Amino acid sequence: MDNLKRNNVTVLGTGQQTIVFVHGFGCNQHMWRLVAPAFESRYRVVLLDLVGAGNSDLAAYHPAHYSTLAAHADDVLAVLRELEVEQAILVGHSVGAMIVMLAALREPARVARLVFVAPSPRYLNDVDYLGGFEPADIQELLDAMDDNYLGWSAGITPVIMGHPERPELTQELNNSFCRTEPNIARHFARVTFLSDNRADLPQLDTPTLILQCAQDALAPRAVGDYLHRQLPASTLVVIETTGHCPHLSAPQPTIEAMNHFLASEPA
Amino acid sequence: MSAEENEPVPELDLRLTEENPEELYENAPCGYCSCLPDGTLVRLNQTLLSWLGYSRQELVARRCLQDLLSMGARLHYETHCAPLLLLQDQVRELSYQLRRRDGTTVPVLMNAVLRRDAQGEPLVLRVTLFDITDRRKYEQELLRAKAEAEEQRELLTVKNAELLRINAELDNFVYTASHDLKQPVNNMVGLFEELKRTVTFHDPEAVGMMGMFADALQQILNTIEGMTDVVQLQRQPNQAPVEAMDLLTFTKDIIRSLQASAADFTLDFAAASTLPLPRTSLHSILYNLLSNALKYAEPGRRHHVWVSTTHEAGGLVLTVRDNGRGIDLHRYGQEVFQLFRRFHPEVAGSGLGLYLVRRLVQQAGGQIEVDSTVGQGSTFRLYFPAA
Repeated sequence: MDNLKRNNVTVLGTGQQTIVFVHGFGCNQHMWRLVAPAFESRYRVVLLDLVGAGNSDLAAYHPAHYSTLAAHADDVLAVLRELEVEQAILVGHSVGAMIVMLAALREPARVARLVFVAPSPRYLNDVDYLGGFEPADIQELLDAMDDNYLGWSAGITPVIMGHPERPELTQELNNSFCRTEPNIARHFARVTFLSDNRADLPQLDTPTLILQCAQDALAPRAVGDYLHRQLPASTLVVIETTGHCPHLSAPQPTIEAMNHFLASEPA
Repeated sequence: MSAEENEPVPELDLRLTEENPEELYENAPCGYCSCLPDGTLVRLNQTLLSWLGYSRQELVARRCLQDLLSMGARLHYETHCAPLLLLQDQVRELSYQLRRRDGTTVPVLMNAVLRRDAQGEPLVLRVTLFDITDRRKYEQELLRAKAEAEEQRELLTVKNAELLRINAELDNFVYTASHDLKQPVNNMVGLFEELKRTVTFHDPEAVGMMGMFADALQQILNTIEGMTDVVQLQRQPNQAPVEAMDLLTFTKDIIRSLQASAADFTLDFAAASTLPLPRTSLHSILYNLLSNALKYAEPGRRHHVWVSTTHEAGGLVLTVRDNGRGIDLHRYGQEVFQLFRRFHPEVAGSGLGLYLVRRLVQQAGGQIEVDSTVGQGSTFRLYFPAA
């Protein structure tokens, strides 16, 4: 299978170094549209959809295979290999941050730096760890997803992506940007919110930027601080915004923090 | 402007309703709220406040929309709804649970629009909420039914796999049984032949009993053969290559092997001299149909069997007709093709023949039909698709 097609890879921009954007749970590569263009003049920009999301090859989503984040990390590495990328900058949002971290741990030579946007190594509370959620909360999310079956279902209306020339479709289609096959979305939700990557953190020595939102119900400040403590080679920047998507709610501060980090000497 | 638009408003005094926008906003039959882009509540209508059980002072500027959602809805909002709003400036028909002040929940459908300022920056989020308590019950019922149907389907898949396994085991059993029976029965045939040659009986009835014993032995052998054939067929669904056998020669050979001197045969293969079948299948089909035709002859009448081929829309038809005793189809219908089904207990048979014939015909993509009148005879028509 063609890795680029499988992950619906988009390559834009020009530059010596490659910067790869990996989205999180709930959306797809479209999430980066306020941030990624700012890097196109200086970097080769690679956008991708995780298998199961967006316009990736849905048929390739075998739940047993994708029951761990490592499978997605392998996909990211396969894309890097196919594009012959070394020393890349990997940017991951939410669960995508843990995916790019696993990729860097597996093949450190391919990854020069990491940017974690609103990351969390574990969403569930544990002894001496505050992730923010109890298992019952995750079950509630799965129920909420079931209730919004129509909103998730890609089968109801054609996906709007790939039709920028037809803006009238935007009016017509409801909640269309982040449509996902409901069963896949449900499975990926489970994999995301039950994942625990705390043990991997101390192994990482790739320089990492942690972008923490000031108020984020999914990845609270305490989680950002925890990550910063566990990752020796990390820089923590708090973005003054509410919510879980600073790249959408505060794109300019996000870009500035990234530029500053990328211009700095490795710690 | 059209003439209609120029007409004065009808006489009915609309002021009688005392309708005004402010009153409509506060007590509309739906909940309204406006929020800052980060969700902070700026304004709520009375309808929404009374659903929630909060006072205006408790919420405005102090709480945000996300705080009013159940935990599951909040997770959904943060991961899905919030990015959607920023990407496409609106969401529609999201099904969420609102959390009331007293901890109970109310199911709502939410539509929201993000308004931007002149610079394109997010300015205000306008939210409309509809109470869907009853609809929600109905949806949950549907979801429950769907989950149940899926569970049943899973169960059926498991059961199906189990049945397939049991079926394969049964095939194996029948195969082993027929195989293990064949050897001793063959030994019995040999021993019996030897006995007939060497033993002398004093009882005059013994000769007749010897004949009956030989017949019974032959019947056991035939049954075992039939069982082996059926099992072979089930074990190897991929059939052998088609061979263009000359029907006339082939049929004559079979008739000869059946030693059917007591019957007349009319063979007519002018329309098609071959059939698209593997040799072994053709042999089994003709052998079983012809031996049946001979077995069930009507007593007291010269037996006659007709075998012919004809062309019919899109395919070939092989017809085997006899003037034998016939089958009561009103009574037995399609049971004639069932395994071990027999209608003439006075005639020896295993109940395997027609079952095997139908399987072979179906395997070749064809079908079989029977027509019969008691006391007059039977006609079997085998339809084969054009090769």
